[in-house]
Amino acid sequence: MAHDASRREFLAGALGALGAAALGGGCRSGPAPPPAGRAELGPLERELNIYNWSDYIAPEILPAFEREFGVRVTYDTFESSEEMVAKLQAGARGYDLVVPPTYGVTALLATGLLAPLSTRYLTNRGNLAPVFRGLAHDPEDRYTVPWQWGMTGIAWRTDLIAARPESWAVFLDPRYHGKLTMLDDQRDVIGAFLRLRGHSLNSSDPAELEQARRDAVEAKQNLKAYLSAPVKAQLIAGDVWLAQLWNGDAAQAAREQPALAWLLPKEGSTLWIDSLVVPAAAPHPRAAHEFINFSLRPDIAAKIATATGYGSPNRAALPMLTNPVPYPSSNELARLEIEMDLGRATELWDETWTRIKSA
Amino acid sequence: MKRLRTTALLAPGTLWLGLFFVLPMLLMLGASVLHRGVYGGVAPGFTLEHYRRLLDPLYLAVLGRTLLWALLATATCLLLGYPVAWTIACSRRYRTLLLMLIVLPFWTSFLVRTFAMIFLLRDTGLINTLLLRLGVIHEPLTLLYTPFAVLLGLVYGFLPFMVLPVYASLEKLDPALLEASATLGARPAAQFFTVTLPLSLPGVIAGSLLVFVSALGSFVTSDLLGGAKQVMIGNLVQGQFTTARNWPFGSAISFVLMLLVLVAVLASLRLRSPEPGR
Amino acid sequence: MKRRPARWILFLVGMVYLLLHLPVLILVVFSFNASRYSVRWTGFTLDWYRRLTERGDLLLGLERSLLVGAVSTILATGFGTLLAVALARRRFRGRRALEGLLYLPIVTPEIVAGISLLVLFVAVGLPLGIATISIAHIAFNIGFVAVIVRARLEGMDQSLEEAALVLGADELTAFRTVTIPLLWPGILAGALLAFILSFDDYVITSLVAGTGSSTLPIVVYSMVRRNIEPSVNAISTLILLVTSLLIWLADRLLREQPLAVARS
Repeated sequence: MAHDASRREFLAGALGALGAAALGGGCRSGPAPPPAGRAELGPLERELNIYNWSDYIAPEILPAFEREFGVRVTYDTFESSEEMVAKLQAGARGYDLVVPPTYGVTALLATGLLAPLSTRYLTNRGNLAPVFRGLAHDPEDRYTVPWQWGMTGIAWRTDLIAARPESWAVFLDPRYHGKLTMLDDQRDVIGAFLRLRGHSLNSSDPAELEQARRDAVEAKQNLKAYLSAPVKAQLIAGDVWLAQLWNGDAAQAAREQPALAWLLPKEGSTLWIDSLVVPAAAPHPRAAHEFINFSLRPDIAAKIATATGYGSPNRAALPMLTNPVPYPSSNELARLEIEMDLGRATELWDETWTRIKSA
Repeated sequence: MKRLRTTALLAPGTLWLGLFFVLPMLLMLGASVLHRGVYGGVAPGFTLEHYRRLLDPLYLAVLGRTLLWALLATATCLLLGYPVAWTIACSRRYRTLLLMLIVLPFWTSFLVRTFAMIFLLRDTGLINTLLLRLGVIHEPLTLLYTPFAVLLGLVYGFLPFMVLPVYASLEKLDPALLEASATLGARPAAQFFTVTLPLSLPGVIAGSLLVFVSALGSFVTSDLLGGAKQVMIGNLVQGQFTTARNWPFGSAISFVLMLLVLVAVLASLRLRSPEPGR
Repeated sequence: MKRRPARWILFLVGMVYLLLHLPVLILVVFSFNASRYSVRWTGFTLDWYRRLTERGDLLLGLERSLLVGAVSTILATGFGTLLAVALARRRFRGRRALEGLLYLPIVTPEIVAGISLLVLFVAVGLPLGIATISIAHIAFNIGFVAVIVRARLEGMDQSLEEAALVLGADELTAFRTVTIPLLWPGILAGALLAFILSFDDYVITSLVAGTGSSTLPIVVYSMVRRNIEPSVNAISTLILLVTSLLIWLADRLLREQPLAVARS
């Protein structure tokens, strides 16, 4: 706790020094964070501000929450989790609940922007599946409650490609020249080639990264493009035959194009989790906690998963889902890694990515 | 006698720019000489490493590539935009209509427009399907994720930046001048180069600068229509504030970019006709 | 400037207009497409228009975008025009520097502009919201207006204004009744550009927006991760319809008025 406070003061001090130098003003630090553990959070506020991806929620649950708790909810959306992290790090306040990915959690935590959750209000927490507890980015589950989860793998058109693409090496295969895409994300692309060679996708080893760079540049010759979510349309149309893609998106696209399948490559990949967190400067922490608890109810969690098409970390919700995304088996878990923030190695990764893109 | 003081003309704009542009930029200038905060933001300590890092051939190549694209986009916008501006300025009846029609597509979201262009250019998209049906080609043309597609997108997005200033400049052209030169025996081509073009030069320079400078910072078009296979300066800066968590480096790049633009702008402004004194 | 342009020029210009509007046409057609994905035509439907009533976020976003657009366009055009007049007609120290300065906001990558403004707003304690978005848009659009109006002023004959002064008008009146009308095409062009830049801005807006102030681009861009469903096409089509109507009306109104100012 003292650690977090000192980091927050540190950032506030640095930015404040900048601001002070330019404006002659003083430092500003936010309100004191709520204490950890089973802390009291005060009476229920009348408002709640959520900052999340668009369509990453079942639309009916917001009015349901509003009716039951008498809280007015404002739902704002962002396009990129990294921009969201940068916005919070630059000092934007007012959000009570934010939904960062795993490495975003690390960055926010390290810059002292998160408040520890108060378990007093999270009575439904037991509904979470054990596989999503105690993960690398939040080993003691003090700051996060998982919202949705998924895996990064390979989606392909079974009618256009006969062989199952079991390995990341398929991107190096010149047979499919011009029909392949990878995600436009340095963690996903470099990570895939690190896993191909048996390394961790959080590696900071220059030699491993150099090898991954060479592989990525070789693959680039075969790629049609680096495409993220918009690749779905192209898979459906058949312009793209095989794409690096998340399982939830592949499932969505498959509803429109039945010849679409998805698999987890044998060398392993990313287990990604988007979590609910409460910023340290949240103006309505009690309402935030009530919402988290609300979303942990089985029926609510089921509605969310049905609407988003991704995996629900709520095991009590599974029986209510018609087509639940099954939790990773122990076999799959052994091959999955969580993306952590790279810390000092970020610069090396960024340069590697620039080299790949410039090739 | 009410004078219109120069300060009254200058005050609102310069104050606003000073407060809400220059001041924030000074903050970022400060950031560019600090250390990178490991998880974001800045850390104390003066350093010029970020500026030094820019001298690496990798980053110079990115800058060079962006400059080339910006020049290409500007030249194409000029070639296509000047005739459009000319036609609008010529037409008395349809002038407002034509002007508004140039701007109308931009009332739709950039993303949706760009996805519509993707639908046009895709292998199984509109153009290829039509050409295949008509028997003009037998294999789909690769139109998307090519330099052609990127140029198309850039020109599409920046055309108004060229048309509007050139139009504004051409519109005041006195037809009497053209009639006079015709009387003196000049043919249309000569008229254009000796009368029209020089008089519309301020608009041409303004439009070219607007397109060039905007294209320098652009990267989303290159990503969406070029398949994100190349890095522009815009990608680099965007990355520094997001995934790379290197705000000082991002700020340094921006400052170098601004310096380059300042030099380019001041140089081109000398090309303009001398200042109109009394 | 009333000559008829050569045939090849008209053809070229026609092609350019076609190019500009073809994607728009596609966008409109897809707003009636039954499929969620704009991949191929699967059937006609008005569902996406009906869905707009459910998508309060799109409607609210539109409202906010129009508000910010109107405010920022009026102020940016005003400030920019004044600056252009000063740069073109007056001598003062720092003239060259100011001219150069006008282009800097245009080249500044939006993320730098956004983050730095955000830091500034936070440092002075200004609450984020519609106001901060408008402030940002004005700052980044003044340059566009000033450059366009300046281009019009450049080389423009000053004899009409001089005549007005000689006839006894003071500077302010001459400015109001002679200069502004002469500048009008440039001002209009600048205002149009400023508006579309504000209406479709994403990065800066996203960074300085507060809770509950998501504009239309923010809503649309954040839909990319899942899928930009055709209700966005629907709202864009409606916007185009209304705008076209307004243009048509404006055109009729302007045509009926005799041209007020003679060319010098």
